[in-house]
Amino acid sequence: MPSALRLDSVTKRYGQTLAVDRVSFTAEPGRLFGLLGPNGAGKTSTIRMIAHITAPDSGTVTLGGEPVSPATQRRMGYLPEERGLYRKMKVGEQLVYLGQLKGMGAHEAETAARRWLDRFGASGWYGKKVEELSKGMQQKVQFVATVMHDPALVILDEPFSGLDPLNADVLQETVAELREAGRTVLFASHRMEQVEQLCDDLCLIAGGRVILAGSLREVRQRFGRDTASLEFDGDAGFLDGLERAGAVRILSRSAHAATLRLAEGTDARDVLRAALDSGADVDRFEVHTPPLAEIFRESVSGAAARA
Amino acid sequence: MSPIALVARSEFLRRIRSKWFIATTLLAPLLTIAIVVVPVVAITASGGDEVTREVAVRDETGRLADALAEEAPESVLFLRTGAPADSLRAQVLRGDLDAVLVLPADLLTGEARARYLSRSGGGLTLQSELRGAVRSVVRAERARLAGAGDEVLEVLDAPTALDFVTVRDEGDAAGGAEIGFLIANVLGLLVYIAVLLYGAMVMRGVIEEKTNRIVEVVVSSVRPFDLLMGKVLGIGAVGLLQLAAWGVLLFALNLAAAPILAALLGPDVAPPVAGAPGAMPTAGAPSELPFDPGAIAAVLTPGLLVSFVLFFLGGYLLFASLFAAVGSMVDTEADAQSLQVPVILPIIVPLLFLPYVVDQPESALSVGLSLFPLSSPVLMVVRMSVASVPLWQVLLALALLAVAFVGAVWVAARIYRVGILMTGKKASFRDLARWVREAA
Repeated sequence: MPSALRLDSVTKRYGQTLAVDRVSFTAEPGRLFGLLGPNGAGKTSTIRMIAHITAPDSGTVTLGGEPVSPATQRRMGYLPEERGLYRKMKVGEQLVYLGQLKGMGAHEAETAARRWLDRFGASGWYGKKVEELSKGMQQKVQFVATVMHDPALVILDEPFSGLDPLNADVLQETVAELREAGRTVLFASHRMEQVEQLCDDLCLIAGGRVILAGSLREVRQRFGRDTASLEFDGDAGFLDGLERAGAVRILSRSAHAATLRLAEGTDARDVLRAALDSGADVDRFEVHTPPLAEIFRESVSGAAARA
Repeated sequence: MSPIALVARSEFLRRIRSKWFIATTLLAPLLTIAIVVVPVVAITASGGDEVTREVAVRDETGRLADALAEEAPESVLFLRTGAPADSLRAQVLRGDLDAVLVLPADLLTGEARARYLSRSGGGLTLQSELRGAVRSVVRAERARLAGAGDEVLEVLDAPTALDFVTVRDEGDAAGGAEIGFLIANVLGLLVYIAVLLYGAMVMRGVIEEKTNRIVEVVVSSVRPFDLLMGKVLGIGAVGLLQLAAWGVLLFALNLAAAPILAALLGPDVAPPVAGAPGAMPTAGAPSELPFDPGAIAAVLTPGLLVSFVLFFLGGYLLFASLFAAVGSMVDTEADAQSLQVPVILPIIVPLLFLPYVVDQPESALSVGLSLFPLSSPVLMVVRMSVASVPLWQVLLALALLAVAFVGAVWVAARIYRVGILMTGKKASFRDLARWVREAA
């Protein structure tokens, strides 16, 4: 049962603070939707309304066309950023309990818990108490609790934080499978490289408002090919010269590589020429759209300037 | 299963399987029995070498010493003496004598007072035994001086018994008054302890879920209200189970106590189970048990037991939901200390009225306190133990308690649903008022 998640002009106020301001977006089934934003942007407030933990002051949240309710809660899995488990409870018992809260039968929940633990190479944990597990192990258990009832919508808030690279790969694979299986995946993060790597669509919020939304490709294209990356051998002094002249802004640099954002009116060829004129050997030169982190930074500061 | 039932079942099972639950369930009755039994065993065990006091009797009337020697308490040996009071006093001071009892000549006319001189004053038991002995000897002698014959003296010595009979629907209870007072105190304290104990358990559970951060996952599956109610009901069931287990264990241990004591102390020693010997000289129960089981049963009627359970549950539900609200407002148990004062205070204050209600169960204040929902859980049960309370008052108290419970849950749920998701920030009372008002 593929279900799109749709937010329409959702607003939430806490006292005097406007935490979420007329946020609208749609997350489609079979796609990975990235919800981005700096800390305090309103991501968690938005997610809590999607998960029907809090209710919007105005606007609507629907899953598969149905307003969110205790019934839609059963078709969602939510992995909060701040997460935990009952420490004194055994892993299996805990998963069965959380599965039952999602409406599963006890037997069904047990089967699912065992299957998912096997999947993560963790079958031996079923009878262990949570407090005996390492932090990384606990995170896997939490992930199992999020997906074991086969939800139509999976909400993952910073799922990679605290995972070692190996486990991060496993998680990434699983998320890709959920997408293949037609689930709607909402992925909240402020880690741009992960979003760039994983997401199909994204929505950037800051100060409670949507600043930027669309598919990853659309968003990139909107910014044009105004960024140059180069690798070279030789004196890097020409970079400082270009920056002093206001022709470029250096996004990143190391001894033999740099990524530059071209100022308006600067041609990419000017950069290449400057490099060659300085006597450096240029091994690679590429013109492309700015990295998401840069788009993110620029959009947020632009929005702040407009506000 | 409904979400509330699921949460309640999980809370219940998780707690009754914990080491804490098993340990306290088994140890508390043993400890209670130990508190009663150990002093008895210790005192009786040392009873063999109990000191016999040598008390010199200076009988200035010349008519009392013989009779007094017959009435002497077990631990006292009276030695008749004619030595002057001053030198006797000096001997006591030196330690040659344990004590001196001076019976002045005018004692019989009531114009002088008898005096007992010792360095330590003597224990409470000894004092009351001596007073009794002197009084009865003096009284008999006065009667004889007034010309009374042996028959008159016999008549005077005949026992004068006054039984206090409490009239109840279930049947009259003779001699139930003292046991009624005792049961009133025990039940009142029990309600108080139970409400505090299990209420605080709810609070700790809420704080644990909050610091663990599991709460956000749970409320993405069930409504905060369901989580709150499930938790309160689950822990309430834990409380009922534990109280029932304590009751059964105490009953069984009490039955076992007499034979065990007999085995420990030898068959010829009558085991006085409750309190040190002589601590309750007036109990006068014919049986060897401290209290006649029949008399206890007369006070501890099924009606009182049912009321005890209902008022415990009502009080628990009322205060536990408030405890949950307090728990939701803080991040650590330490932070809860000051916030729980407004919740604990209404539980403690009724306790201060407990002796008053036992003494004046029918006064307007007692009736009012036993109806008022914040104090009725403790005080109605107390009143019922010492007086015959009309059924309508019991039902009214329960109804008021139910109304208070609904109100407390209404407020607590509103604080709870906001509080559980707040971390780091301490809520002010103004915040609380807003949470209650705005909850959508």
